[in-house]
Amino acid sequence: MISIHTFRATFSRRCVAATSGVRTYASQTPGNPMIEIFNRKAKHLQKDRAARNVEESRKTDYLKDEVALRLCERLLDIKRDFSSVLDLGANSCNIARALTTPNLDIAVPEGTPSPPLAERIAKLTCVETSHALLHRDEELPFNKEINIHRDVIPDLETLSYQPNSFDAVLSSLSMHWINDLPALLEQVNTILKPDSPFIAAMFGGDTLFELRGSLQLADLERRGGVSPHISPLVDVRDVGNLLNRAGFKMLTVDVEDIVVEFPDSFALMKDLQAMGESNAILHREAGPLPRDVLLANEAIYREMYMENDAPGIPATFRMIYMIGWKEGGNQPQPLQRGSGELNLKDILGGGDFQKS
Amino acid sequence: MPNRTRPIEKVAKATAKCSTEAAAYGKCVLADYDSVHKDMCVKEFMRLKDCFVE
Repeated sequence: MISIHTFRATFSRRCVAATSGVRTYASQTPGNPMIEIFNRKAKHLQKDRAARNVEESRKTDYLKDEVALRLCERLLDIKRDFSSVLDLGANSCNIARALTTPNLDIAVPEGTPSPPLAERIAKLTCVETSHALLHRDEELPFNKEINIHRDVIPDLETLSYQPNSFDAVLSSLSMHWINDLPALLEQVNTILKPDSPFIAAMFGGDTLFELRGSLQLADLERRGGVSPHISPLVDVRDVGNLLNRAGFKMLTVDVEDIVVEFPDSFALMKDLQAMGESNAILHREAGPLPRDVLLANEAIYREMYMENDAPGIPATFRMIYMIGWKEGGNQPQPLQRGSGELNLKDILGGGDFQKS
Repeated sequence: MPNRTRPIEKVAKATAKCSTEAAAYGKCVLADYDSVHKDMCVKEFMRLKDCFVE
């Protein structure tokens, strides 16, 4: 505050000298500066537009369905009944679909049927900003197997739920469009009941690195400069910090690469668009990519990343899975550092790393 | 827009037949990818584009 005041004093004095009128600051934003990277309106329109083409949108759900399944597998390990679960950024309710899939548990011997996870969930609330996307599949049979409640909210970054109201919060492939991730995670922590898990999957750092690289080179060679085409993404190393900062305990973070093969880079971009995942960076270029750049990109992508004799080009999606628990009563706590009384070497065996 | 071929599909089809030219252009760019500058491979690109427009 002090520095601002001094600055303001000198500034207005200078203004007096120059214009003989006194100017003051119109307003000052309190608290943290708001981080804006993505254009929320554009993202909303993209999702809406993509979902309205129901057939294409369903066809390109392969990635979201797969990740939702893998996310729900993580829920199998928590032997609890949940009275109220939130799906944050539900897309087309892919998590609900995964929850109603029977025999998800691969640990049980084959042939023994295991019930779908939906049986342990009394109520699932799906929130999403796009009405068209959220309600796309509401007529499908899986809706009858789970008590699902759809909630369209204007902005995913402001959750208007009561504190301590959910037994679990799940989120699959939505958080990569959030501008202020630390603030959102704090809200999630607040709406969770004590000792309840937050389980999420999001696109991370190296997602689409092939396309990012080839588009940069194509942009450079054709136009002499680069423009952002692929979102900046969270790095795995930061996720632990983010969760920690939001107050989560007992963190688990892991990474998984899913490589999808496409016939060409156009098919990849077309699919991304149909998923509602096109570029929504705030300061992106207006209009579609110039055709010359697209053409150059295709040639460079193939040359750089296509394996010999492969039928198509690979595109890597890096998933970061995270689990964090809200602090609660009987939660196991880590022991004080240095308080261990057993040497791990005695338990696990093995010796020093000496050359034998 | 029912039954309308999207421009992007046309482009995809056209590039498929120009694989030799595309490979030549790709190799040219990647030969020195640390210092790519505008029109570094304009010759190769024009050849690719000519094939593509045909």
